[in-house]
Amino acid sequence: MESMQLSDSALVSLYLAGQESAFALLLERHRSRTFTTILLIVRDEDVAEDLLQDAFIKAIHVLKSGRYNDEGKFGPWLCRIAHNLAIDAFRRGKRVPHLSLDGDGPLANSLAHSEEGADDALAREETHSRLRALIQELPPAQKEVLLMRHYGDLSFQEIADATGVSINTALGRMRYALINLRKKMAVNPPYYDSNLTLYDPAALRVQRIAS
Amino acid sequence: MIQTLPYTTLLRYVYNELPASALPEIEEALQHDPELATACADLLLAQRTLNALRYEPRPAVSARILEYSRTFPASR
Repeated sequence: MESMQLSDSALVSLYLAGQESAFALLLERHRSRTFTTILLIVRDEDVAEDLLQDAFIKAIHVLKSGRYNDEGKFGPWLCRIAHNLAIDAFRRGKRVPHLSLDGDGPLANSLAHSEEGADDALAREETHSRLRALIQELPPAQKEVLLMRHYGDLSFQEIADATGVSINTALGRMRYALINLRKKMAVNPPYYDSNLTLYDPAALRVQRIAS
Repeated sequence: MIQTLPYTTLLRYVYNELPASALPEIEEALQHDPELATACADLLLAQRTLNALRYEPRPAVSARILEYSRTFPASR
């Protein structure tokens, strides 16, 4: 579809001009990232779906009231709304961490990959389950950066601005998040995935020739 | 002149957040330094694995959001 190539800003403009189909495309484009961000914070599928709905409703209110001004960053803006809602919900304790890790339920269905074999799909789900659990074990600041960068589509500078730290601090937190994930993956060999061989950067001092 | 490449620079390179002017120098370093190339490859694999961790809400949730958007002006 030609309109799938439109930028988020163009879709927002079309939506504000009355084209509901433009909003459907924005929803399709951003729901998975946003939902994943929320889910990895609140750890409950039902709560995450409610919060996803709340985030988009909030976005609709802002858009249709003419108060939207994100300089073409719809995805990161939506993620910040979702992230804040999820953090609030988590702090209020309105979550029951019953996230299924055994491959049952709608999460497992959403991970189905029709083009791969059953063994591959099982291995992928096992890796994802383990990875999901390990992300929960990260220190909050590291987890926050990792979620915002990978699922919220925020740049490191945007994360730094949103969290009130320097970009070097944001980068440092990401660095240690990746180191921690690697260590945790290595600690539990049955779940270890060779695709997550995060490099230990402690001694990384690469010499290069500067022109 | 010998310089060092901080890990944070490599991180920004892998996440495509460096200015274009900085890329040739880094890519030249990648070609000549196996240790750096390995670190970069590992980061890219980790990035791919993390990005693959995606979930979808049930279709009914999307339908409710779209319905809300469609009826929003009428309810205000």
